[in-house]
Amino acid sequence: MNKRKREGLASNSDNMSDAERIVYNVIHSKQNMGIWMADIKRETSLPESMIKKSIKMLQTKGEIKEVVNIKNKSRKHYMAAGFEPADEITGGSWYSEGKLDQEYIFRLRQVCLNYISRNVIANRDGILEFINRGGYFSGTTTQEVDQILGNLVLDDKIIEVKSTGYGDYEKFPVGRVCYRCKSKGGVNNGEGKIGAMASIPCGVCPRINLCSPDGYISPKTCEFYQKWLDF
Amino acid sequence: MVSQYGFKFAIHLITNHFGKIVAKVCETLFRKGPLSLGEIIRSTELTPEQVKNSLLVLVQHNCVQAYVPADQFRGEDGSMATVEYLALFDNIIHRLRFPKFLEIAKHQLDDECEKVLDGLLRDGRLTLKQMVERAVQGKENPGAIEAVVRESFHKLLKAHYIERCPAPEPVVSTLIKAESAPRKRGSKMAKKFEAPETIEQRVLEAAVPGEAIRFAVTAYTLGNADREAKSDDSSMVNDGDNSGGIANEGSILWRANFEEFIRHLRHKLLVENERKRLDDGAATILSAILDVTKTVEKKVKIEKSAPLSLDSIFTEVTKTEHGRTMTIDRVRASLVQLGCPQRNFDDSYSIDLKSIVEMARNEEVESIVLKRFGSDAYRIFRLLSKSNCFLETDKIAESALVDKKETPRLLYKLWKDNYLYMEKLVVTAAKQSRFMLWKVNKPLLWEYVLDEMYHAALNLSLRLAFEQEKDEDLLHVPADKLVPADKSSEANALQKRYRRLRDVLFLMGSSLMKLDDALMLFHDF
Ligand code: SF4
Repeated sequence: MNKRKREGLASNSDNMSDAERIVYNVIHSKQNMGIWMADIKRETSLPESMIKKSIKMLQTKGEIKEVVNIKNKSRKHYMAAGFEPADEITGGSWYSEGKLDQEYIFRLRQVCLNYISRNVIANRDGILEFINRGGYFSGTTTQEVDQILGNLVLDDKIIEVKSTGYGDYEKFPVGRVCYRCKSKGGVNNGEGKIGAMASIPCGVCPRINLCSPDGYISPKTCEFYQKWLDF
Repeated sequence: MVSQYGFKFAIHLITNHFGKIVAKVCETLFRKGPLSLGEIIRSTELTPEQVKNSLLVLVQHNCVQAYVPADQFRGEDGSMATVEYLALFDNIIHRLRFPKFLEIAKHQLDDECEKVLDGLLRDGRLTLKQMVERAVQGKENPGAIEAVVRESFHKLLKAHYIERCPAPEPVVSTLIKAESAPRKRGSKMAKKFEAPETIEQRVLEAAVPGEAIRFAVTAYTLGNADREAKSDDSSMVNDGDNSGGIANEGSILWRANFEEFIRHLRHKLLVENERKRLDDGAATILSAILDVTKTVEKKVKIEKSAPLSLDSIFTEVTKTEHGRTMTIDRVRASLVQLGCPQRNFDDSYSIDLKSIVEMARNEEVESIVLKRFGSDAYRIFRLLSKSNCFLETDKIAESALVDKKETPRLLYKLWKDNYLYMEKLVVTAAKQSRFMLWKVNKPLLWEYVLDEMYHAALNLSLRLAFEQEKDEDLLHVPADKLVPADKSSEANALQKRYRRLRDVLFLMGSSLMKLDDALMLFHDF
């Protein structure tokens, strides 16, 4: 452990045992990324039992905390008390307690979609203002709205366009990124256009690679066709 | 390279249309490449008679082209020449589209043209004389019918929907490998993106008559027209006397020009796609552009429309029904929408057609992904497809807002079914970490999807035949048994079965035609 680091440590390190201090320093040095058990062991070269004991003591003293690491929830992951876990650890704002917050995402999507379909064309700032003014969710960030909009584009529910400055785009400066609904009649139902392959059994068949005219699985005996042609 | 199921489907079509023996010859040619008569006989173990007849049928129907390899050709008399036969995959698959070709002739020209074309498609190749004979057979008033056939023939020819048959046995240089070997190191990259010339391309190129002759009527008709105009030059274009012209009519063979039909269908796809993506105005403009520039198109798969000035585009647009009221500003704005933000330096516009085709392909593939793998996978796939580069698993989960546990599972499924390309990356820094990188490799994926499409078309077609066979008795039931007036329970059951068969055949038939549109999108466009 070098000298400079030691100086920068929390003031109450006085009431720690040597082992606790070593463990604490390692954990603290990882800042908002934290560290897991095995790495502490590797970096400190202390026996496992001693590390465990130190961690327990540090936790009781409120110096460190256990956090859920999204990448590996079964591992015990520790962080100094003064830090908030980084997005890499928590999974970002979409995650709560290590789980993707589907409910939140779903509701935010609905609000964005409704707003766009009502206004035909919208840009991010307008949507964000609407969300915050309506008090739907507290503290929704620009990045979050951007990501939701990006997702709706990926889902082919809305499309990204650049304002031409004319007609529907009048309110937006030329070149500004805007969003509009996929179909003219309002929000796309999400199914999009069903392609030629997607509308026949073989096009979406999980067994197509096993299926051959004279094989065990064949078009003549196929049950997917049976279902499809059952009028 | 044609896919495995592409060949299987082609053989299936040949079996349906011409029977098993012809199909066997065709299959051998696909499997082994071009062969001489003797080699075909040896490989198929059919009798020489059977093979000869099969080849005659296949050549007559434009499914096989004969040629003489240049290195086998000795002297003017060609005494040493060995003719080889090459199966033409595209022309065989086109047989599936004959109903579409007929529809085009009917709509763009008229019913009579459709009839003449129908005769050509049924018989493969005909002389004008045969076309006339075919039409007047057993009819009254042959004179009037003949006049109609001649007129239709000229209309079809003018629209390039029919053409002279290719040379029967052109001499073709087949030394492809030696010639296209890389010359310089530097040129290697550029070379890679050029589609390599195949024997098939060479043979077709050598066989096709020059543009001037390909769509030229006989000297007789030219002369005739001139005489009507009382031109003094008529003897210049006339072959001599009339008998020469008539002989021509009986000897020049004509066939449907598949290329022009495919071009027409491609244009239709391009226009309809832009109509859907943009609006009617953009569609009208694109359609007008394609109509005027099509005469200079050298092949079907052109990447960009030929450059056209704003003035000529505007003139063409105002000639169309929907474009009559458009202003030049409107036309310019639509050109911008169509992806021409600036005109070329010489004040001309050309539309990127390739990107429209690619968008349509993406849409088809994405709709398969959505149906087969669900909406999360769909989002992931679109993310990768749009970004067009490698992305790491966690990054994908974050951007697509899919659960981090679920993401690798979905990626793996897509990869296992060939929809994604994956690379493992091992980084050895402080500690070793392994990353998985994913990407959509479009050219590879399109090839794969096309193969699946041929497979699906084959299955659909087989099942269609099976359904027909199963209820074959229904096709022979007298019509009065099928009228709803008959209320007996026997008739009732019969009617029910009949209705089902009708619905089944309709659904499967239209699905096959729709699937064929997709086959063209991935293979011909
Ligand atoms: S015939 Fe049936 S089993 Fe075979 S690929 Fe088609 S849907 Fe799948």
